[in-house]
Amino acid sequence: MTTRTQIPLGRLWDTWGVTALLVLLVLCTPVIAPGFLEIENLQSVLRESAYVGIVAVGMTFAIASGAFDLSVGGQLALTSVVTLMAFNGGGTAAAVAAAITTGLLCGLVNAGLITQLRVPPFVATLGSLFVFRGIAYLLTQDGPRTLPYEQVDSPFAKLGSLNFAGLPVPFLIMAGVFAAGWVLMHRTAIGRRTLAYGSSPSAARFCGISDTRIRLFVFALVGVTVGIAALTYITRVWTADGSAQDGFELKVIAAVVLGGTALKGGKGTLIGTFSAVFLVSVLNEVLVSRGVESAYQRIVLGCVLIVALTIDGLRTRFAGPGSFRRALRPTS
Amino acid sequence: MINALKKVPLLVPLVLVMAILALSTDTFLSVGNLENVLVAAAILAIPGVAMTFCLAMGEFDLSIGSTVSLAGVACCSALIAGLPLAFSLLAALGVGAFIGLANGLVITKLGVTPFIATLATMVIVRGASLAYTDGHDQIVSSPGLKYLVAGRPLGIPMPIVLAVAVAALAWWTINRTRFGRWVCAIGSNRDAARMSGLPVDRIRIAVYVLVGLSGGLWGLLISGQLQKGNGQLGLGFELDAITVVVLGGTALLGGRASIIGTVLGAVMIETIRNGLNLLNTPPAYQRISVGLLLIAALALLALRRRERRGAGPNRVPARVQESAA
Repeated sequence: MTTRTQIPLGRLWDTWGVTALLVLLVLCTPVIAPGFLEIENLQSVLRESAYVGIVAVGMTFAIASGAFDLSVGGQLALTSVVTLMAFNGGGTAAAVAAAITTGLLCGLVNAGLITQLRVPPFVATLGSLFVFRGIAYLLTQDGPRTLPYEQVDSPFAKLGSLNFAGLPVPFLIMAGVFAAGWVLMHRTAIGRRTLAYGSSPSAARFCGISDTRIRLFVFALVGVTVGIAALTYITRVWTADGSAQDGFELKVIAAVVLGGTALKGGKGTLIGTFSAVFLVSVLNEVLVSRGVESAYQRIVLGCVLIVALTIDGLRTRFAGPGSFRRALRPTS
Repeated sequence: MINALKKVPLLVPLVLVMAILALSTDTFLSVGNLENVLVAAAILAIPGVAMTFCLAMGEFDLSIGSTVSLAGVACCSALIAGLPLAFSLLAALGVGAFIGLANGLVITKLGVTPFIATLATMVIVRGASLAYTDGHDQIVSSPGLKYLVAGRPLGIPMPIVLAVAVAALAWWTINRTRFGRWVCAIGSNRDAARMSGLPVDRIRIAVYVLVGLSGGLWGLLISGQLQKGNGQLGLGFELDAITVVVLGGTALLGGRASIIGTVLGAVMIETIRNGLNLLNTPPAYQRISVGLLLIAALALLALRRRERRGAGPNRVPARVQESAA
């Protein structure tokens, strides 16, 4: 087999390339952005990245299975609005339950459209993006939902800003979701099947992998991660309406792709996604501290994305695309 | 007749929606209102037609919304600087073509997936537009630019004239020229197209330049309407343009293109927006209805495909599924 004689350089870059870039960037910060390494600043970077990172876990699975979920922005807006309504009506427990349930329901709607009505994922989630955001707008017609002022000292409202052992709670939640995602992807049958399905849907079908189940699993997972992310998001900003986090889906997809997950499916790297989320936010932070306007920040981020993907194109020549056999192997 | 209906499946729902609106409102069928709908549809159809080429090739261009903004800004700031109108219009189209060229080169020469490449240029171009205007409006008062949207040669609104010209040219290109055949050939099987010796990269670049140009024209129309350019124009327009094409029945995976479908898709979307306005529904319903429309259209297409092919290619024999469980 030719795979044995290959130099593993490509595959090493796959998993750790973005992490190496992140480390390099952080090592440079004392020179290019003095003050970046102060505890408070680091905490704020970790906190701000949490909700993008959490959804990026679900999106990594989706893209590894060969599909996008373009509706996560709408899901986040809708879930945030419903969560605040539930909190105002029934307190913390109701809010948590509402967040997870709403996210899960959104995911199930997407899965239903894709598996039952056989709409391609790209269009199904593009359509449901409009629908979810529209419902969020409907629910907030008379002004955005907000956390009542007398509740700003409640434990729920503090969830987004608390620190535990010096680490922000949203970051800890995000780390937990990543760990769970890693186990799910590399140590469970459904995770391996998702990768196998992504690398070759028809081969997977012939192995008896049910595409309905894969779609259901992937899109429900995205929904649940959105639910968790909404909790960390809403307890930090305390307000939501239909326009909350416009363009969120592209932020999340950019992080996952930057991390090294193949757009064609069959290969997902959560370590890469994790580092990519922070690479983007550290870069943002550095640009802000150097007084670069937000308009120029966009230009820089876009260029980073193109450069990273160009490298990815070169990399594919070394390591080859995600292979079906490798996907089914229990370790990566 | 039945053949025509099969080719353009959107016709029946469109007539249905129009009939419902004609019955439930007094104003829908008034000349002024119908003209409003058609003008709005014409403006949306122009980029939709160009995007049809892109989807027929099996690819997307997400950067067109940002192109609208930068092209509008280019034209307005050229006018503010006192440059002649013709130059300002050309500047906007040039900006559009340049963005398209950049997209095409990044995609074909650097090998970046279209989805991500145009996502990146979308962010970059939006950033450039915001940076150049510094967040301010570039307000102009130019009768020439206004004429592009509100002018009426021979009594017909200018956007409709433009859209008909663009759509006719595109229809002819897709159905009657080598270039159109090539675009569809790339969409149905790019490797086969390359092996038969088609200049695949050059065709792809040309299509992205076309989409960029249409984005430039779209920017001129929007800026002409508002008499200003700024960094916020065209937010989310890329989804509108893609929605129109998908509604029109151009296959998402490429290989086929329906210009007439795209034009009807634009009319459909603007009819629904207009109808919901007339019925005084909150703007939120417009989003929901566009989303539902998109899903319904694709579900119908999938259903027809399944009927045609019997059990369909996606089915695994029941026995195999059981043994996997």
